[in-house]
Amino acid sequence: MPQLFTNKRLIILLGSIILLVAMIGFSMRDRDNITWPEKFVKDVTGFGQNIVSKPASAVESFFDDVQRLRHTYEENAELRSHLEELAQLESDVTRLEKDNAELRKVLEKEESLADYEPVQATVIARNPDRWYELITIDQGESNGIAPDMAVMTASGLVGKVQSTSKFTSTVQLLSAHDSQNRVSALIQGESTVYGLIEGYDEEKRMLQMTKIPSDSTVKKGQAVTTSGLGGVFPKGLVIGTVTELVPDEFGLTQTALVQPAASFYDLEHVMVSKREMTSVLPQEEDRQQVLIEEEGL
Amino acid sequence: MKKGLLPLLMVILFYSDSVFMLFFSEQAFDGAYTPVPRFFLIGLLMMAVFFDRNTAIKYGFFFGFLFDMFYTGLLGAYFFFLPLLVYITSKLTKWLHGTLPVLFIIILFDVALIELMIYGLNVLVQRTAVSFEQFAYVRLIAVLVLNGLFYMIFAIPLRNAFIHLKKVFD
Repeated sequence: MPQLFTNKRLIILLGSIILLVAMIGFSMRDRDNITWPEKFVKDVTGFGQNIVSKPASAVESFFDDVQRLRHTYEENAELRSHLEELAQLESDVTRLEKDNAELRKVLEKEESLADYEPVQATVIARNPDRWYELITIDQGESNGIAPDMAVMTASGLVGKVQSTSKFTSTVQLLSAHDSQNRVSALIQGESTVYGLIEGYDEEKRMLQMTKIPSDSTVKKGQAVTTSGLGGVFPKGLVIGTVTELVPDEFGLTQTALVQPAASFYDLEHVMVSKREMTSVLPQEEDRQQVLIEEEGL
Repeated sequence: MKKGLLPLLMVILFYSDSVFMLFFSEQAFDGAYTPVPRFFLIGLLMMAVFFDRNTAIKYGFFFGFLFDMFYTGLLGAYFFFLPLLVYITSKLTKWLHGTLPVLFIIILFDVALIELMIYGLNVLVQRTAVSFEQFAYVRLIAVLVLNGLFYMIFAIPLRNAFIHLKKVFD
């Protein structure tokens, strides 16, 4: 059919479908970070987004403040009751921290999985089509942020850095549906129980902690924190509290439903934690070095 | 000089989606509904009808590309769907008369269509586990209501702006 090929529109349509599939395939690949043209586009768009969203959030936070002002009295009364406990707690913490530092010195073990350096960041955009639970923050590679770093608010862990560009980064929240979104976690109790945070129950709004050994006893209300064993997250970031424990479909392990400590909604300010202790795998250039040295042996 | 107003208007519409998300609390209605702003799409379709179809297709490509890279990270989706919707709309307005009430129906149809296509794509690449009923009740209805309201408020100013810009360009 010669007229089929002269049909310009059909060729354009077919060409764009092929391009669509190729581009989706390209972006679905399991990749460490985005390519430099994407980074460039992100920086330029992010610059505009910054200009637009900073005044917008200023206006929004003004209204929030006005609303908060109405509840000041009750909040103040409650906070005062906490304040007395706080003084005791604070002195305990400083004493324990000092103890810890001294003991570490004795052991000559200076680095810990729990050490991290927080980087403050402001949320400048939220994915408007609301499918992937992604937010964009105004800090990027120039501030030392790299993919897979932990992102948290004052109350707890909210997600991890998915990709970075020079001046912005994209953060995937824990509530996102992504099978690669896993965090190694532990339940604090008399004996520590390890598991993996993977998946989010949309209806109950709870995180699912899987791979808990079936013989371990977990009580309701126990705290869940990161374990630092995943390689990139520091140890001890608060994730939430256990609300329910159910056996999994094969009865070999248990799944705990975890009430997240931080809200995944309406985020404004977040912290990105740069873990200080190096990860187990050396950097890529170093890895090359190791290989060469091994060959020499 | 005045020709620069067209890209400026489209840039403002492009960012208006995310600015709306900053203002709109996600906990509104107890999180039972997920209204998604499609203001840029509405502006783009008005542009196709009242300004020029081919320019609108070019803008659709460009801003769809930006949207994919900056917000979703899934390249190709909006890049492909936005120009396609412009094309469909321009065909529809040729059959039906492009008056504002008729355009209201067409635009709601387009908004529903893009939601369905993006949902279908997400199911296909396994980025979501939402069932179709959930999608229809939680998302689709809320999206139509929100964007219908946007159209009712901004249809006349947008139409006047594009008609004015067309005079400037001619």
